[in-house]
Amino acid sequence: MGKKNYISAALCLVVAIVIMVGTGKNFLAAREVPLPEKGPSVTEVKMLSDWFDGLKDTNGDTPVYVLKGEKEGGAALVLGGTHANEPSGYMSAFTFIETAVVEAGTVYVIPYTNHSAMTHNDPGEGNIQYFTIPTQSGERTFRFGSRATNPIDQWPDPDVYVHYPSNQQLSGSETRNINRAYPGRPDGNLTEKMAYGVAELIRTENVGITFDLHEASPEYPVINATVAHQNAMDIASEGCIELLLGGIDMALEQSPTNFHGLTHRELGDFTDTMAILMETANASQGRLRGASGVEQVIGGLDRFYEINEDLGMLYVPFDENGHPIEERCGRHLQGIYEYIAAYNNANPDDAIIYSGVPGYDELFLNADPATLGGAHLGSFLK
Amino acid sequence: MSIELITFIAMVAVFLLGCFAAKLPVSISMVLSAIAGSLVGGHGIAVRHLVEGMFSYVDTILVIATAMIFMKVIQESGALDAIASVIIERFHKVPALMLCMIMLIIMFPGMITGSSTASVLSAGSIMAPVLMLMGVPMLETAGILAMGGVLGMIAPPTNIPAMVIGAGIDIPYSGFGLPLSLLTFPLAFLFVLMFGYKHVKKMNYLEVQAKLNTESRKKFGFKVYIPLVLAIVLMTLTKLVPSFSIGMPLVFLISAVVGCFTGYKINLLKVSKDSVNSVLPVMGILMGVGMFIQIMTLTGVRGFIVTFCMSLPAWARYIAIAISMPLFGAVSSFGSASVLGVPFLLTFLAQDEIIVASALSLIAGLGDMMPPTALAGIFAAQVVGMEKYTPVLKKCLIPCLIIIVWGLLFIAGANILEPFIILG
Repeated sequence: MGKKNYISAALCLVVAIVIMVGTGKNFLAAREVPLPEKGPSVTEVKMLSDWFDGLKDTNGDTPVYVLKGEKEGGAALVLGGTHANEPSGYMSAFTFIETAVVEAGTVYVIPYTNHSAMTHNDPGEGNIQYFTIPTQSGERTFRFGSRATNPIDQWPDPDVYVHYPSNQQLSGSETRNINRAYPGRPDGNLTEKMAYGVAELIRTENVGITFDLHEASPEYPVINATVAHQNAMDIASEGCIELLLGGIDMALEQSPTNFHGLTHRELGDFTDTMAILMETANASQGRLRGASGVEQVIGGLDRFYEINEDLGMLYVPFDENGHPIEERCGRHLQGIYEYIAAYNNANPDDAIIYSGVPGYDELFLNADPATLGGAHLGSFLK
Repeated sequence: MSIELITFIAMVAVFLLGCFAAKLPVSISMVLSAIAGSLVGGHGIAVRHLVEGMFSYVDTILVIATAMIFMKVIQESGALDAIASVIIERFHKVPALMLCMIMLIIMFPGMITGSSTASVLSAGSIMAPVLMLMGVPMLETAGILAMGGVLGMIAPPTNIPAMVIGAGIDIPYSGFGLPLSLLTFPLAFLFVLMFGYKHVKKMNYLEVQAKLNTESRKKFGFKVYIPLVLAIVLMTLTKLVPSFSIGMPLVFLISAVVGCFTGYKINLLKVSKDSVNSVLPVMGILMGVGMFIQIMTLTGVRGFIVTFCMSLPAWARYIAIAISMPLFGAVSSFGSASVLGVPFLLTFLAQDEIIVASALSLIAGLGDMMPPTALAGIFAAQVVGMEKYTPVLKKCLIPCLIIIVWGLLFIAGANILEPFIILG
C-alpha cells in the first residue's frame, strides 16, 4: 500500500471514528427515558421485577405506578407503551398517572410496558427520536421509540418466531414484539420474560380488568376499535355502547381464538383478568405515510394519508385536521373510564372508582383547535 | 412537482451519476444518493439516520460473510469434488430426474432459512460443479443457481416475505404450505429443465467420468462430507427445535471450522480473509441500501411511491405489482414485501388473503434478481466463476417473467383456488 493510500485510509478512519462517537452518544442518550411525575393518587412506584425477579437489572424491567384508593375495591391494570412507536398509549398512561384521583380500589399503570423498545428506533423507518410539548411545569421532552425490543437487549432474531405455548409461527422479527409474546415464560427471551412479568402482576394482584393501549396505521383494518377477550365481551359491549352514545366511533371485536401472543387473547386465557385492547389512528405508522416529523406524530397530520383517504385505502376518516394526540389519548382515557364503569356495574363489590382524568370531551371536543397537537394535552400534565 | 418527487429524482440521479459517470462503487453511490436525498428533503446531512439505516441489514450481512467462508472451506477441503463425483456416478442415467433433484438440493437451504444467499452459496456451490461437469454451460448453471435460490427462499416451510406481508395485517403464518408449494416447485422444475435438459441429455458419461475428481473421496472417505452433513443437520435442527435457534451465521461458522479438519489442510484465517474480501462489495451495497431506505422513508419518498401505486385503477394494480415489487426489491426483497406487499394485500382483501400474500411474496422474491443488490444473481455468478453478473440476469429474464405471470394468475384466481389449496 502506497503512502497516498495510507493517508486516505487514515482519513476514512478518522471520519468513521467521529461519526461513531457522535452517533454512539446519540444512541446511548436514548436509553434515558423520561418518567411520569407522581400524581395525587400515586402511593408507590414499584418495578415489574417486584413481581418477577427474572427482570431485575435488565432493560426490560420497568416502573409500575400504583394508584391506591382509600376505600377497598378491585384492581385494574393499564398498559401503555406496549409498542413504543404508538405515543397515545404511553401518553395516556402518563396523563392517567399524573391526574387520576383514585377513591376505591387500585389502579396499576405501566407507562412503558416494553421499556427496552423505548430505548431505540426502528432502522429503515426514519422516525423522530423525541418530541417536546409545553406542560404546567414548562417544556417536557418525551421519547418516540420502536415497536420491538432493542436488539442490544435481545439479539439475534430467529428466522421464524415460534410462539410459546401455541407454536404459532410468525416472522422472526416478531420475536421482539411483546404483544406477540404473551403469556410469556420465566426462562424465555427478554421479551417473553417481560410478558411473563405482566402476567405475574395480574395473577398476584388479582387484577380484574386490563387495558392495553395501542395505535395503528390508518390503513390497518382494526382501528378506532376495541378488541376484547370473550370473557370481557359483556363489559366491553356495555362500555362500547356508552362510547358510541358519547359520540366516539368505536368498533368492538372479539379476540380471535387462532391468533396468539396478544394481550386480549393470552391474558384472558392464562389469567383471570378481563383483557381489553384499544386502537387509535396514528399517522406516523404505516407504509402510506409521508415525511417523518413531530407534527405527524403528535399533530396526527399527514398529506399522503389525506390522498389515500380519497383513494378509499383507509379505515378511518382522514382530513387536513388529522388525528391529534388529544383525540387519540381522549379515546383511550374515555374508553378506560367507560369500560371500568361497566366492570363496576358487573362487580359492585370490586368497584374501581376514580376521577380527575380528562376524557374525550376535555381533551379533544372542548379544546381550542389551535392548541391541539400537544399543547392542550400538556396543559393536563405536571 | 412535489418535494417528494424532487427528492426521489435527486436520489436516483446522484446514484446513477455515482455509478456510471464517476465510476464509484455501487455502495458508495448509494451512500451519496442517500445524503443527496437527505439534503434535498430538508434534513441536512442526517448522520443519525444514515447510521441507523446502515444497521437494517446487519443480520443479512453476517449470513453472507459466514456463508462465503463455509463455501470456500468446503471447496478447498475437497468436499465439493467428492459430492459432485458421487452424484454424477449414481444418477447420470436419469438426467431429467437428476436435474430436478439437483434443483431441490439447491433450494433446500433457502427453504429452511428463508435466504436465497444461503441457497446459492451453500447448496448452489456444491451443485454448480456437478451441473458443469455434466455439460451445462457456466451461464445456464448460474441461471439454475439463481432461480433455485429465489424459489428456495419462497418455497415452504420458511418464507420470510410471506411472513412479513402476513404480519402487516396480522395473518399468522399457517396454511401457506400448499399455496407456496404450488407457486414454487412447478416453476423450479420447469426452469432447471429449461436451462439444463438439452445439455444433460447429450452427456457422454465416459468423457465426464474422466474429468471427475475422486481423489478427496478416496483419500478421506466419508469424513470429507462431515461439514456438509453438519450444516444440513444444524439448519434442520434450527427449524425443528426452536430453542436450538443458533442462527445461520453460527451454523455456517461451526460447519466451516469442522471442515478444516475433514479434508485437505486449510488455513482458516486466510480463507476467512479471502471470503470476506470477496463479498465486501455486496456487504457495502446492503449498508448503502439501508441508508437509502431510511432516507426515502424520512423524506416521504417511500410514501410517495406506495401512494402512487395505490392510486392506480384496479386493473392497473396488477401491472403495478408486476413492475414495482421486483423494482423495489432492487433495494431489498424483504423491504419490497413490507413496503409494497402489505398495501397491495390490503387492496385485495376481497380475495383469499393467504393465496394473495403467498403470490405477492413470490413476486417480491424477484427483488433478489434486481440490480444493484441482486444477491441471487451476484452470488450465482461468483459461484460459477463469472466476472460479471449481468449476463446471468439477462439469462433469467424469461423465468422472471414467468414467475410474475404465475404469481399474478394466483392473485387473480385466488378465490377460485381457495377451496382446493387452503386446508382447514
